[in-house]
Amino acid sequence: MRPPQSGAVPGAGEERRPTPPEGWEAPRERWLSTVVSPAFGPRSVLLEVVVRLLIPSILVFSVFLLVSGHDRPGGGFAGGLVASMAFVLRYIAGGRHELAVGMPLKPNTLLAAGLLLAAVMAGLPLIGGAPLLDVFYRTFELPLFGEVKVASYLFFEAGVFLIVVGLVLSVVAALGARMEAEEEEARAGHRRRRRARSGGGER
Amino acid sequence: MNLLLAVPFLVPLLGAALTLPMRRAPRTQQVVSALTLAIVVAAAAALVRRTADGDVITSQAGGWPAPLGITIAVDPLSALLLLVSSVVLLVVLLYAIGQDIAGLSRAMPMVFHPIYLVLTAGVCLSFIAGDLFNLFVGFEIMLTASYALITQAPTRARVRASMIYTMVSLTSSILFLTGIALVYALTGTVNLADIAVKLGDAPPPLRMVLALLFLVVFGIKAAIVPMHFWLPDSYPVAITRISAIFAALLTKVAVYAIIRTQTLLFSRDDVSGVLLWMAIATMIVGILGALVQDDINRIMSFALVSHIGFMLFGLGVGTVAGLAGAIVYLVHHIVVQASLFLVNGLIRQFVGHTSLRAIRGLMAVSPVLALLFFLPAMSLAGLPPMSGFVAKAALFTAGADAGGWLLYTGIAAGVATSLLTLMAIFRIWVRGFWGEPLEDMIEARDQLRSQGMSGGRLLMTSSTAAMVAIGLALAAAAGPLTDFAFTAAEDLLGGGAYIESVLTGGES
Repeated sequence: MRPPQSGAVPGAGEERRPTPPEGWEAPRERWLSTVVSPAFGPRSVLLEVVVRLLIPSILVFSVFLLVSGHDRPGGGFAGGLVASMAFVLRYIAGGRHELAVGMPLKPNTLLAAGLLLAAVMAGLPLIGGAPLLDVFYRTFELPLFGEVKVASYLFFEAGVFLIVVGLVLSVVAALGARMEAEEEEARAGHRRRRRARSGGGER
Repeated sequence: MNLLLAVPFLVPLLGAALTLPMRRAPRTQQVVSALTLAIVVAAAAALVRRTADGDVITSQAGGWPAPLGITIAVDPLSALLLLVSSVVLLVVLLYAIGQDIAGLSRAMPMVFHPIYLVLTAGVCLSFIAGDLFNLFVGFEIMLTASYALITQAPTRARVRASMIYTMVSLTSSILFLTGIALVYALTGTVNLADIAVKLGDAPPPLRMVLALLFLVVFGIKAAIVPMHFWLPDSYPVAITRISAIFAALLTKVAVYAIIRTQTLLFSRDDVSGVLLWMAIATMIVGILGALVQDDINRIMSFALVSHIGFMLFGLGVGTVAGLAGAIVYLVHHIVVQASLFLVNGLIRQFVGHTSLRAIRGLMAVSPVLALLFFLPAMSLAGLPPMSGFVAKAALFTAGADAGGWLLYTGIAAGVATSLLTLMAIFRIWVRGFWGEPLEDMIEARDQLRSQGMSGGRLLMTSSTAAMVAIGLALAAAAGPLTDFAFTAAEDLLGGGAYIESVLTGGES
């Protein structure tokens, strides 16, 4: 008797696990997925939970680095690296499906957006006759923060930030996620073959 | 003026950003890429016009004054190379687009177009960088893009080739970075013009060590003997469009860097003897390698190594005439190598490979292909009406005028190399183009005829023909080209104009 094929579950090799509840009792979004597990090694719930708790702080810190980078240590590159570490952590804890849930944009889209933003911001001063990468400031009066100075450089750095995140994610996609998908496929194939050999299964 | 200087590397980066997400719109992607390169060509042409009198145009990024900020400087040499490279990049792109339209390539357009444009940005930035570190950045952009490009349509051979290529390039990059650190330790600056001023006070032995270090760094990338071993193993394996661009441009960017650093930073006495010996070794060893190969692409790769020697020879002569000869040779060689590799691509498309063991009678099967091969090949060998002859004549005259036994040895080596190149080409011609065509080649032709000429194939052939025609046009325009090269060479050896323009702001 073949267990019901869990079509909605991405991990094709997870036939023996209990399937999640269907219909009205199924939670719309699972904070911790019950069916997805990393392809390599056993699942560590501790790691998953801690990573989930850490990610918001890491992302906020990366934005802090981006904003403070104008005249203090930090900047788009450092901020981007920190932010991408958040996603790498999530990938390590939960595998590629978790990563896809946490980062719905494709690495290529991030790269393209970042490159576009950086190139446009670098080239914008040229239109006014100023040299490449020239910086212009604008001071705003914000209700809670008081006086805030925004340099055009911030947007250039934001582009760099996006490029770095996109680059790290595409490295993860190429070196981790694709290998993982192949591994899962190979394991599923192996299991099918074993079932066929033992005479069980549907035939 | 700032705008014009930024276009050659900013616009390709923008183009790369635009073409990157166009997975589902291949036509738009092709149009955007071609348009991007057309803009670069136009900007480069404008720069050539502005620098024709020997002016140096500079721009300081972010408005920081020269030794502090990022300097962009275009002198006649940079402008000329920008123009030639962007034209070659555009024509090869058209070839690639034709190949993609005809559905004849396994390269992924989604990867190819953005990275090709990033490569363009790297090449352009290398030509216009006014400080040593930005030159490094330009090189790295170019090389990183090339690592990705060389494994397009991956096969076992291509991955192996890319390993060699990447390792060798990284080694040279590490040395480059070390060199920059040493120069900075000595002078406290990375601005080329500023280094040139400050290195003048440095002790000569130290300066010579630095000159040799940079010669090795760029020598690896330019494939100068004895640092050439990686090139014939990696370039010919890549797909046509990639090997054409690599052969035409990447080594020449390194030659440009050698010319720039050795003329601006170091005085001629530092290394000119070494340069000449390396030039002679490169010419002879390279062409001897070409004579024993059996594959057209490999023969052309060894010929490429060998002919780098001519440019070094021009630099080693050390006079304005010698340097002008080297510049003319540089331009000629970029165009000729690109045409030859594109023609090889057409042959590979037609027969399925480029091994001379299994090609015979190409002339009978495809006279057009034979003509397209013959013209640039004769130019490479340096036969009289072609641009190769103009360049070689300029080099040899300059060498003979300067005199000295080493220069005469160099000229003798150059003449011998030209004859041996001719011999290598005749081997290709006799074995591949003459004789009765093989069965499967006739079949291939008949099959092609029955299919008719598709738009894609037409674009491939016509872009190759355009490249060959540009090579012929260089010979026709030899007068203005040589004049321009002399202007560029005077600027380089005078040195004053570049340094003054960068450090005092020049006209910006």
